[in-house]
Amino acid sequence: MQRIQKLLPLFTLLVLAIGLTIATPNFLTEVNLASVARQTAVINIMALGMTLVIITGGIDLSVGSILAVAGLLGTMAMKDGHSISYAIVVGIVVGLICGVLNGLGVSIFKINPFIVTLGTMGIFRGVALVISNGLPVHEVPAGFAFLGEGNILGIPTVVYILLAVAVAMHFLLENTKLGRYSFAIGSNPAAAYYAGVPIKFHLTMVYAILGLLSGLAGMIEASRLMIGQPTAGMGYELEAIAAVVIGGGSLTGGEGSVIGTLIGAFVMGLLSNGSDLLGISPYWQQAIIGAVIIAAVGFDELRKRRLAQ
Amino acid sequence: MVLLSLKGVQKNFGGVKALRNANLDVSPGEIHLLMGENGAGKSTLMKIVAGMFPRDGGEMLWQGRSVSFSQPAEAASNGIAMVHQESLLAPHLTVAENIFLGRETTSRTGWVNRHSLQSRAARLIADHKFPLDPGARVDRLTPAGKQLVEICRALAQGSSLLIFDEPTSSLSESETKEVFRLVKEFRDRNGAVIYITHRLDELRSVGDRVTVLRDGETVHSCLLSELSSEQLIQHMVGRPVSSIYRREPLPPGDVLLRLQHVTRGIVEDVSLEIRAGEIVGLGGLMGAGRTELCRIIFGLDPLQKGTIEVNGHPIHPGSPREAVAAGIALIPEDRQHHGLALRMPIAQNITMPDLGRVSKFGVLRKSEEASLAGEYRDKLRIKCASTTQAAGRLSGGNQQKIVIAKWVARGARVFLFDEPTRGIDVGAKQEVFEQMDQLARSGAAVLMVSSELPELIQVADRILVMRQGRLAGELPGASTQQDIMRLAAPPSHSTTAIHTN
Repeated sequence: MQRIQKLLPLFTLLVLAIGLTIATPNFLTEVNLASVARQTAVINIMALGMTLVIITGGIDLSVGSILAVAGLLGTMAMKDGHSISYAIVVGIVVGLICGVLNGLGVSIFKINPFIVTLGTMGIFRGVALVISNGLPVHEVPAGFAFLGEGNILGIPTVVYILLAVAVAMHFLLENTKLGRYSFAIGSNPAAAYYAGVPIKFHLTMVYAILGLLSGLAGMIEASRLMIGQPTAGMGYELEAIAAVVIGGGSLTGGEGSVIGTLIGAFVMGLLSNGSDLLGISPYWQQAIIGAVIIAAVGFDELRKRRLAQ
Repeated sequence: MVLLSLKGVQKNFGGVKALRNANLDVSPGEIHLLMGENGAGKSTLMKIVAGMFPRDGGEMLWQGRSVSFSQPAEAASNGIAMVHQESLLAPHLTVAENIFLGRETTSRTGWVNRHSLQSRAARLIADHKFPLDPGARVDRLTPAGKQLVEICRALAQGSSLLIFDEPTSSLSESETKEVFRLVKEFRDRNGAVIYITHRLDELRSVGDRVTVLRDGETVHSCLLSELSSEQLIQHMVGRPVSSIYRREPLPPGDVLLRLQHVTRGIVEDVSLEIRAGEIVGLGGLMGAGRTELCRIIFGLDPLQKGTIEVNGHPIHPGSPREAVAAGIALIPEDRQHHGLALRMPIAQNITMPDLGRVSKFGVLRKSEEASLAGEYRDKLRIKCASTTQAAGRLSGGNQQKIVIAKWVARGARVFLFDEPTRGIDVGAKQEVFEQMDQLARSGAAVLMVSSELPELIQVADRILVMRQGRLAGELPGASTQQDIMRLAAPPSHSTTAIHTN
């Protein structure tokens, strides 16, 4: 029974997929599935990094702003005549730097991560607006579309990237010191400190990794729209957090998994895709996704309470 | 007349039978001790009485009427109040606000009348001569002060049955006496008290009757005066306890830990040496600076003055990480908060301080980790189905063994035990002592902080006594409790204050 309840997110995903297959002929088509994969990839990649942060008991509200700064500076590099691959590296490094700043705020200055990243959410967004003067960057080479919209062997490029990130994150969580210490810090920070775990270093690393992935997501987003926008990614932080939480991550730390987060992100992706296909108003979509988040966490709490008894 | 009568009460948690057949009769005007090892079901039984858990079987009679309370408020309105092991107060509210929490006097418009609240609390406190200030914030109180507030709350409800769940486990000697005074006063006013305790030394001074639980069953119930301490232990553990363990001191080796003029905060000018193979006891009253000294040595609070040497090398730990690297281990008093990640598997708790040993280039080798954990599970005789079980699922004694195991696996050589037997049952205590002995035999230096004088006398090779942050003196291992108390008590006979600031 407990195992079945643990699989609830997966069930939800399957029920959604089957339901949509029956309800609309357009769902199970190559075109539509590729579009779902593209749409969810950006949130999914950030959510995988968010999983790590949430496991340590932290949170990062600035990922949407990081996505914007990284996408903007990356496209500006291309505008200045640099190569596509150079620009992608720029975007990723910008994300990494932003993440390190978040990490230092949380670990060295011991400020609550909610506050640190609430602050940097504004700062990074402001920086993006100042640099661009509020204007988008259109001058990107046509080849840049390959990252977000291209295919390799008929499968969207982003799917390969997502898969690679997911495998790497899974390995990191389950098989490295960094992953283990993340669980330890999230489970009981005092016990981890008393055991001599280098908490500051690992917390900084965790936020840095999320920053890096947000930078990558920023470049994918820019490539999908073929534009670098200072206003990109607004509200993405909440979608990434929601994906982690639907997938069984706990905001109090110590719990979360790559598989769960992937499922969570796809549940949200299918909800919005399904609403589109079924002609449900985008206004309703927000309310539906909100209700699903509460229901998912509610069921998870019930499961845990039963487990504790 | 019987006030409360429990007959054949049962309670299951999942597949575990916490209570099989619990029986208990409590009359007004008696202090009824409820005894048993950890996991015997004492707290569970009392939580059923107080309406916190439903029961799965059996009968509960309250004033002759069959009842089952579905929530604590229902039990409270019937006159049953429970004072908990961990304080369940609202820390940011005042003493008065906590006493009347949920039963505030309100004006017709629904506003809380602070003034009447405060004066009612003041009257209640004066009535019982409690050293409490009704306007003080609860988070500023000592553990004893918090307990008094909980007792006030119970009295304010007009309870006829008070349940105490190990009230003295975090109290000093004088505070304990204060709690005893209250309990007796309540009894003398024809109230009934159920008192859960582990401590054999304190029960004689407070109890009238005793009921012993073992594995969820009532095994004995009688007048306390009819039972010797040995018989009581025998009922609790279900077998005669072989003569009390006493350690054979070893010839001490090299000096492993040397403190010179260590000073910080309350701790002042402490110098001591502990040699390999030694178990040194550290006695003193609550607030004498013993825990604080351990914190300094372990790098939790940096030194202000003085030096610390481990095995001849001076160290200056600014964090536990540096202390751990120097070979120091702390077995903290608050195991659940500082010692273990309760939701994580046993194996992962054991390897936490030394993950490098089971990993290469940051990548874990899980089979090595599992075999290492298995090795230390066997070495320390940790009773568990598997080392992949969550640490929080084990009993207090087994949890303590995990904490010890992780330091032994780390290869620590200086062990600081802060109240190692707190919340551990009689049988497991002996095992912890045996493990301390084995550590010493394997060449470790052991410092043991304990408020239980008989334990210090039983286990330590020599006993250092702290008083008001300083070392007051040293005694040989087989000293008497009086000797220790004479050194530990402050020169003036002021009692320990309840307020900290």
